[in-house]
Formats: sequence, structure tokens, C-alpha cells
Amino acid sequence: MEQLYLLATLAGARIAVDASEVEAVVKLIDVSPVPGMGAHVAGLSALRSRVLTIIDVAALIHGHATPADQRDLAVIANISGHSYGLMVDGVSDICRVPEGELPLRGQLDSAWMPFARGVVEHEGIPHLLVSLAGFIEAGAQAQAA
Amino acid sequence: MDELLQEFISETQETLEALAGEVVAWEANPADSQRLDAIFRFFHTVKGSCGFLNLPRFEKLSHAAEDVLSEIRAGNRKPDPATVSAVLAIMDRIGELAEAVARGAALPNENDEYLIGALTQVEAPAAPAAEAEPEEPAAPVAAVRQGQALRTIRLPLSLIDQLMNGVSDMVLARNELSRKLRDRSADPELDSAFERLSTCVADMRDVISKTRMQRVERLFAAMPRMVRDLSRDLDKRIDLTLEGGDVEMDREMVEMVVDPLTHIVRNSIDHGIETPERRRAAGKPEAGRLRLEARQSGNQIVIEIGDDGAGINTARLVEKAIASGRLTPDAAARMTEQDKLDLIFQPGLTTAAKVTAVSGRGVGMDVVRANIERIGGVIALDNHPGQGLRITLRVPLTLTIIPGLIVRAGGLHFAIPRAAVVEILHDNNEMMQIADVGGAKIATIRSLRHSMIDLEDVLGMDKPQQVGPRAVMVVRSATGVPFAMGVSAVENHEELVIRPASPLVMASGVYAGMTLPDNGKPMLLLDAAGLANAARLPNLIDDRAHGAVADAAAEEAGVEMVAALRFEELSGERRLLRLSLIERVEDIDAGLFGRSGGQAFVRLDERLVPVVNGQHGFDDGKVCALRLRDGSLEACYPVAAVLDIVQMPLVPDMVAMHGVLSGVAVVDGEHLEVINPFALFAALPQEPIAPHSRGRCLLADAEDGWTREILAPLLRQAGHEVVLGLPGDAVDAQDIVLYSAGDVGQVAEIMGCRVVHLRATPRGTGPMDASIYRYDQDALMAALSGTRG
Repeated sequence: MEQLYLLATLAGARIAVDASEVEAVVKLIDVSPVPGMGAHVAGLSALRSRVLTIIDVAALIHGHATPADQRDLAVIANISGHSYGLMVDGVSDICRVPEGELPLRGQLDSAWMPFARGVVEHEGIPHLLVSLAGFIEAGAQAQAA
Repeated sequence: MDELLQEFISETQETLEALAGEVVAWEANPADSQRLDAIFRFFHTVKGSCGFLNLPRFEKLSHAAEDVLSEIRAGNRKPDPATVSAVLAIMDRIGELAEAVARGAALPNENDEYLIGALTQVEAPAAPAAEAEPEEPAAPVAAVRQGQALRTIRLPLSLIDQLMNGVSDMVLARNELSRKLRDRSADPELDSAFERLSTCVADMRDVISKTRMQRVERLFAAMPRMVRDLSRDLDKRIDLTLEGGDVEMDREMVEMVVDPLTHIVRNSIDHGIETPERRRAAGKPEAGRLRLEARQSGNQIVIEIGDDGAGINTARLVEKAIASGRLTPDAAARMTEQDKLDLIFQPGLTTAAKVTAVSGRGVGMDVVRANIERIGGVIALDNHPGQGLRITLRVPLTLTIIPGLIVRAGGLHFAIPRAAVVEILHDNNEMMQIADVGGAKIATIRSLRHSMIDLEDVLGMDKPQQVGPRAVMVVRSATGVPFAMGVSAVENHEELVIRPASPLVMASGVYAGMTLPDNGKPMLLLDAAGLANAARLPNLIDDRAHGAVADAAAEEAGVEMVAALRFEELSGERRLLRLSLIERVEDIDAGLFGRSGGQAFVRLDERLVPVVNGQHGFDDGKVCALRLRDGSLEACYPVAAVLDIVQMPLVPDMVAMHGVLSGVAVVDGEHLEVINPFALFAALPQEPIAPHSRGRCLLADAEDGWTREILAPLLRQAGHEVVLGLPGDAVDAQDIVLYSAGDVGQVAEIMGCRVVHLRATPRGTGPMDASIYRYDQDALMAALSGTRG
């Protein structure tokens, strides 16, 4: 099974995202804040006539918001009919990984626990496989709590 | 049923059109089994559908053709030309019939048996009948062309939504282009091309939004069945009337209205309409009447649900409200009938004596109202106890566009539905007192107490320091209890295209959606009820009757009151002006103000409107101005700021009978000068300001270069109408003749108008010389105005 993955860095970790989940990667320019929300909702941003809800994924993992001047790239995804932009630190590659998904080994940081589904190895370097929809769900739960 | 028929007809016509080529090809090559199959399928479909739709003639024709074709397919029969012709004739006849049905005309009364006969007996090689047939189609084909009935295609909704998004993108791109164009120097050609593009985009947006429309019929479709079932369960008899099903509204809006409407109808049947016995006792017909009516009114859809049942028993509502501790008996006693009726929108209150399976659990009208208001609608009750109840729902035509106010708070912009805002005041308004009690804010507006919140506090934002007053809006939440909300400022009023926000954002409970204004910065739509909840405002019925009583007392004790506008003059004084005189308040470009002939004026819509307080030189961009009208005369009154609308006594407390002030009135403890409208309009020039009022300047020496090139432009610039040469006729006394040579002066004097003699030398010829040196502009202008007066 040759799956296409987007490789990125997020909150200091290397991650891989199933490319079928990703619509585009854009540079964040203007984010209008949404007051009254947790730190993980960075705000709204317009992509042409679409309005993206920008999720600060790092805040979801570490609990503190990314400063405005460090916001750079966002991965655009359409999750259950709504457009989201998930902030990442950087994007390195989109590639096929012949081995596909590998099981997790070692002791995972508890902050990553809810998100990591496995490991994807690219050129010998492991990347945590995460699901974008998982972040949105976690965001909703963080809010309810 | 009609819809099915319509669909069948258009489908048949479309297939016929597509098949025309196939049949011709089949005729050329009768062995082509693929084409034969296509034609066979057509007859088969027609036969199937028309059996269901009860169209016996279609059925008979298609059945006969199908039989013959299946024999050919099975190889039992040869597709000879006669057979093909007969099949064609049948197809043409079906086309004719379809045409007739689509137009609603009587079916052409020809003998179908003849065609069918031709089809079956063509075995005989002579086949004269079949030979004759092909002549016939010529006419019907033409008929098909002229009567293209409504043809439809089915599209997935997602495609339309995509189209809609595409158009939205286009509008945004257009706006951006427009901004870029504005920065550039004007190019008329480019502008007109852009203008055309704009029109196209706007048209397109209109058309696309029409694709989202759906007939209200869909909303009504489920009603007869529901009414029938309910009335059977409850042993009631109900006559249901549905009207206005052909009104169209946005598809999403239809979906949003279904639940509230269903709820109201259930309520009406359960609590409103009485049992037949009770109706008979009350002298009403046994069968209750329930009437649903939809109509379009402006950009709103009005849905009325009327019954002739018992209406709402307000006394019982009040009892229940008191019993549940929401209302004090004292306050209840002061409530108006309408206030009592509004109690029905309180959560947890119901008039039902007992909870039934149908309704009466108290999750009722409050939810209905919340749902209607969420989509920017309004619900109104018209109660006639014992006679019936009429509920009117007014909802916007489309869900996606609602009128909204843009407010600023904590440095951000938010939108709030216009319908949720009752009133906007500034916090320095004397009518309002804001008290702070143990952290809770209470705003008392005209002796009415409201819970007050600051939007920044609710949303957890910093409240930036600001110069000038903050705005306080009285917001009515869906639960019906108004509260006051402080924001930095209310900035604008706009039609907003609302789209749902992501669930993550909606979960916060304070936002109802989002919108993308022209500047491309997403903005959130506030949910009034959600804000009240988030701030945990007590859901207290305000003792508004008390306020009304206090107001009424003031009115009785005082003199007759009239509405007046309180404003601040440019010179800083606060004054009042009768509201009825003010046509509107407008921000006018400072550049449009000017002064001419001792009169200040402002250019508005290509007209000169006098400025009554003589102000004309403004340095900043916009000037707030009152537009006044006394019926015929129009005037403009620039002011520093419009403050609010107040009640002032008809006769000022201190009367001054002359000048522009008619006296002083005391409003909310403040002494305010009242403008005398009489003096205001009396001071206006009687004629509209137009250059003509200054009289024409007739330049006698039309041939003279100096007169043409220097004098005429100077006079025109000064606002005079200039005529070169002496007109032969129609010289009136207002006109002034200017001349520098010859004896024109005497001629002019004979004609009865004034003259100004210009001379070319600075020094006059003698003391008797009344002429003016032609470069002495001051003297010339003085002479012009002097001679006029």
C-alpha cells in the first residue's frame, strides 16, 4: 500500500498527515481573533470567499498559544463540511511511503497521546502519524471540558 | 401530481427530440439493433409512466408501438419502411399529445386507432395508410417548437452551492479590483468596462440566488396529514385552509421554518381549537377553522397561522407566572394585555392545564420564538380570547442575507442582527443611568431597568481606553428579556451574508454565524440569547409596566409633548428641533458646502440647498447635517453631532418670540434652546438658489474679444447667466446690460433694464461719467449687485 503523506513539523515534532485529508497548505496572512474561545482557536481567516477556522494545534498539544508573529503556515482541510486551517511550524515534503503505517514504539509524550495513530518512516526518520480530524475533535472536547 | 406530470411531459419531449435522429438513422439501416433498442426503451418508458399518470391515449399508442418493436427485436417481423413510418407517426402523435398536455389544451382529437391500425396491418405490402402518414408530422413539429413549455433539469444541491460560492468569489474579486482601480488615475474606458463587469456579476448573483428558492408549498405539504391525524387523536374537527403555497423562499429558510410552524399548528389544534361539544356550546361551528397563509411582503415572507379557537387565556398565564415566582402580583397588576400575552414566550410557561402527548410540556413558544429570531425573523401574536388566535411569522426571504449592525468592541468588529437591537444610546445620555452594584451593572433607561453587560467582559477582551462615549444597545434576546450591552461604538448598518461558523466556534454559544464583508476580514455574528446566557444574566421579567405608568404620569401631569431631536450645534450649544421637520440626517462632504451671494448653500443631487445657519467653511471630510423640509422648502442644517430623540413640551418652558430660538425647554433636567422652525424657514431665500435669481447679464458687445474672452468667463464664474448680444425679445427688468461702446445704454434703458457702462481707461472722462473701469472687479461686482437691488 503506497500512501501519500504530507510531512510537517508541529510543536517541535515531526508529523505525517494522510495527504487525502489535506486540501492545501497556505501561508497565513490575516487572522481575525475569535474572543471568548480557548487558545486552540486562533481565529478566522479568509481564503478567497471561504472562511477558515484557524486551529492553533500547538496550543492544543502544549496548552499555550503560538505568538501571532510565529504563525506561518496552515494546512487546509475540510472536516465534516467546514473548512479549517491547522497551524503547523513548517512543511517539508509530500511523498509516498512504501512501508505505510508502522505501529508506535517507545514511550509517547502524554501530550501527544490523543493524537498519534502510528509512525510513518521517511528516509529513515520517523514521523508521528496524526489525523487532522482528530485535532478538531480534540478541540471540541477541550472546549466542552 | 402536477409536478409529476410536468416532469413526464418534459422528459418525453426531450427524449423525442433526442430520438428524432435515431429514428431517421434506423430507417436508413433497419438492421441497426442498437437504435431499435433506444426507440423501444422510449415507448416502454412512456407506457410505464402514463399508466401511472392515467393518460390512456399515451398508453394505448406506446403499447401498440412497443408490441410491434418487440416483434421486430425478436426477429418475427421485418422492419420494412412502412413499419418505420408507422412507428414515426406514433412518435409524432405522442409528441403532439405531450405538447397539448403541457399547454393544458384539449388533446387533439384524432383517431389513434387509425395509426395503431397502420402499425399492425403493414404486413400487407401495399400499405397505403402508412404511406400517407409521414405527411402529417410536418405541422406538429412546428407546433413543438413554438410551445416550449417549462423545461427542467435536476441538479444536485452541492452543484448549486458550488456555483453560489463561485459567484461569491467573483464578487470578492470584483471588490478587490474596484479598490485597486480607485487607487489609479481615472480612465473612463476602463471604468465603463469595469462597470459592465459589475453589472454582470450582480445579475449573476441575483439569478444564482433564485436557484435556491423553493415554493412554500413544501412547507405546507405535510400539514394536511398532520392536522388530520392530530384532530383524529384529539376528537376534534378541523377545516384546514392553505394559501399562498406558490410563494418562494430560500430552501434553507424553508427548513428552518418547518419546526416552528409545526409547533404552532400543533399548539393551535391542541390548545386553541376546542372540542366540538364546547364549540357548539360557545355558538361556534363544530369544525374549527385553521388557516395557514404565506405571502411575500418586501424582502420578507409573512406566514400567518390563524384559528378560531379559544385564544390565549392571559389571566391563566399571569397566574402561572406568579406561581412560578417570575412575576410579583403587584407587577402583574400593572401589566398591559400585550405584556401579559408576551408571557407565553417565557420558557416553561404554558396555558395547557395538563401535559398532553401533543404539547404542553412547556418547551414551547420560547423555543419557537428563539428559532424564528435566530433566522432574523419576528413573531407576533394577535389574540382574541374566545374568538381565536392569529400568529404572524415574518422571516427574511433568504437565510443568508440579514440586515445587521456592525459594532466595535475591544478593537474588533462584530455583527449583530438588526432585529435583535431595540435601541441604541450613548452612555452619556441623560435618559440612562448606569449603576454598579457589587459588580452587577444595571442600566436604567427611561425608568426601565435592564441588566447590563459589556461585550468585552463577556468575551474576555481588554476594554481599550476610548475618547468619547461608549454606545449602549438595548438587545432583546430570544427569550424576550431585553438587556443592555455596552460596546465601543456602533459603526455601520449593512446587509450581511451570513454563513454558519464551524462547530468549534458555534460551541462557544455566543456566536450565531460569521460573515465575510467586503474588506475580506471575517467577522462574527453575535447571538443575543447566547450572550445573555454566557453572562448568566437573570432571566427576570422586567417590570416594564411600572416604567410605562411613570411615563404616562409624566405625560398627564405635563403639557402636550412632541418628539424632538437633541443635537449639538457647531458652536457647541445643545439645542432641540421638532423631529417632524427633519427629513433625515446625513453626512455630507465638506467640499459640497459653499457660499454665494451672501447665502450659504450645499450642493445636493445637482441642486443647491440653502444652509440655514449660514455655516459653510468646514475643514474635515464629512459634515453631519440635518435635512429639513417644511413641505415645499428644503434646507440643510449642519450640526456638530446628533445626540438623540427626546420628548419636549409643545410649548417651550420659556418663550422667546423672535429670532431663531423660540424658547428654552427643560428635558431630563437640562436646559435646551429650542429652534424656531418658523424663523428658520422665513430666513430662507424665497426662490430656489439658482444662478438665474441674479438676473441675466446681457453683453451688448458680443463681437468684442475682451467681452467674450475675459468679461463673460468672469461673470459666469461669479454665478451669473451670461447672454452674448442683446436678445431681440424677452428682456426682463432683472437683466443687466453691460456695454463698453456705442449707444446701447439708451436702448437698454428704453427696454427697461439696468445698464453698466464699462470703459477701457482707468480714469473716467469727467465727473458725470458713471462708467466703470473694466478691470475694477470690485466696482463691477458692486455695480452688478447694486443695479439688481
